[in-house]
Amino acid sequence: MAKKKKKKSLRWLRLDNAAKIYPAARRRNWSNVYRQSVTLCEDVDVAVLRSALKVTMKRFPSIVARLEKGLFWYYLEQVESPPDIRCEASYPLTFMNNKELESCALRVIVYRNRIAVELFHSLTDGTGALIFLKTLTAEYLEQKHGISIPCEHGVLDRHDQPAEEEFEDSFLKYAGSVSASRKDTNAWRLPNEPRHDGFLHLTCFKVPVAEALAMARERGISITVLFSAIMMQALQNLQKEKVPERRKRKRIKLLIPVNLRALFPSKTLRNFAMYTIPELDPRLGEYTFDEICKIIIHKMGSEITPKHMQTVITTNVNDEKNPLVRLIPLPLKNLVMKAVFDATGEIKSCLSLSNLGKIQLPEIMYPYIERMDFILGVQAAAPYNCGMLSFGDTIYINFIRNIRESELERHFFAVMRDMGLSATVESNKNVEV
Amino acid sequence: MYCVKCGVKLADTEKICPLCDTVVYHPDLKQDDVPPIYPEGRIPRPQKNSKAFCGLVLILYLIPTLICFFADLRRDDEISWFGLALGGLIVGYVMFALPLWFKKPNPVIFTPCNFAAIALYLFYINFATGGNWFLSFALPVTGAVALIVCAIVTLTYYLNRGRLYIFGGGIMAFGALMLLIEFLVDITFKVDFIGWSFYPLIALMLIGGALIYLGINRTARELMERKLFF
Repeated sequence: MAKKKKKKSLRWLRLDNAAKIYPAARRRNWSNVYRQSVTLCEDVDVAVLRSALKVTMKRFPSIVARLEKGLFWYYLEQVESPPDIRCEASYPLTFMNNKELESCALRVIVYRNRIAVELFHSLTDGTGALIFLKTLTAEYLEQKHGISIPCEHGVLDRHDQPAEEEFEDSFLKYAGSVSASRKDTNAWRLPNEPRHDGFLHLTCFKVPVAEALAMARERGISITVLFSAIMMQALQNLQKEKVPERRKRKRIKLLIPVNLRALFPSKTLRNFAMYTIPELDPRLGEYTFDEICKIIIHKMGSEITPKHMQTVITTNVNDEKNPLVRLIPLPLKNLVMKAVFDATGEIKSCLSLSNLGKIQLPEIMYPYIERMDFILGVQAAAPYNCGMLSFGDTIYINFIRNIRESELERHFFAVMRDMGLSATVESNKNVEV
Repeated sequence: MYCVKCGVKLADTEKICPLCDTVVYHPDLKQDDVPPIYPEGRIPRPQKNSKAFCGLVLILYLIPTLICFFADLRRDDEISWFGLALGGLIVGYVMFALPLWFKKPNPVIFTPCNFAAIALYLFYINFATGGNWFLSFALPVTGAVALIVCAIVTLTYYLNRGRLYIFGGGIMAFGALMLLIEFLVDITFKVDFIGWSFYPLIALMLIGGALIYLGINRTARELMERKLFF
């Protein structure tokens, strides 16, 4: 009876507009999960972390949550007890099955001196997850070392009650009346023969911030544009190798997520990101690096504006508000949404390059932290994805892939090398079976 | 350390270049034993949500079962042929759907189970139709076929080599079985012995013998592989 009462008092939330597609798009061996991790200067004390998680989870009821099924929609429900702290597997982002999603859609994983969180994308986006991870790490360091960490740079006060604005679906709030068209061309699909055992290869390039910054400044571009251009150049070179006949080549398109909190005054801890997709048409000839940079700058400049983003938000929100869509029972809706995802989602880009940017923390935390990482899961039907961030004086670029061949990473490195950018590489290749 | 092939700088954790698979080695430099960035040997097995599928198959099996039951009942308000249909459906379920419930169904266990189900079904048919052929014909034939098939399955499952010998021997055993079948038909159904079983016996002995010969003779085997690959 008491348990029933407790369950009744747990907070539940409708999925936000972007989150709705992810449960429907899942398949037998794929779910949209991503990871953020913090590597400390000493081994993690699991008992202290467990205690820190117990405190932190109350501040983030929409993130430490499970995915539940309603008759018409999925929803999130706060979990009553913290999830178990798990041991690391030989590769990140192991498949999150239904049972796990219905128990807690967030994992906390420890390996030596690394604390990692893996989240199902319906919970929140990269920004929300980063706030959670920073706050969890701050609580851990406070408990472990007895220090006092100020609540700044994305570290929240664990003892505060969560504010209502943190739960808002900002897509609904900022949708307008004019919608954008969904018409877009398909992208080149990278050669894809996934490993049967589900093993994911992780390759991390560590690039000095100073070098990258100097190179970006020299060209008058941002770090995101620089690495997006390197990625598109690498994709162009890879396609040239794979498809020798120029007329048969397909468009190179790179999905760059955009944090909408920078464009709209939102404090939500739910999903609030959109994307822009710069593209090259290799049938027209080979693009130089400078041309690629210009294309990306132009695309980002014209699309990453509140006005344009509002039209895209409106399109998605209109679909959600359609009475016919709302009345379709969930199993049927899942089929329709999956078909829509397959036809209009990932097929429109070769891969994502998500940059969380420069990670800032309260000054007192820096001596305890060695590095941070951001790893995206692979796409449902494409073998690659890439997440990056900069911490301290290093940029960490994490490639994940479900195929054996590391061709794209090789081309990516070759482009960096030819530009004079140095990089150190590390991977989980040693532990491959 | 730098990769000698592609030139990338490698972290101390790397034993093989992640970009070009070149083994990291420098005769003058001793590599520190740095732990890998992910632990070794912890590969979760890909999970399959097969329970729901198995449940669906079971439900699909229930549909023809119920149709047969009501059709039989409606004809003359009593059960007559439903048992035969049900027996057939159960045999089909045991053979094709039952292994789906298991993560790694072992054919060495399931093959004898299949033959046991077939033998029981034949026993029921014999009982239901008032026949007198189960003990003298169906049981020994089913038993002999089961013995040969189980031997082939077990040897193939547990031995990685000698497939040609296993299948060659199995086919020859089936040839010998033809003689037994004709003999049992003769004594059970009082049919004159005409010696039809010698024809399949000779054919199966030749096929089985040829397979064993290919197993022994490597040159002949390679020639056949060259001629018959697809």
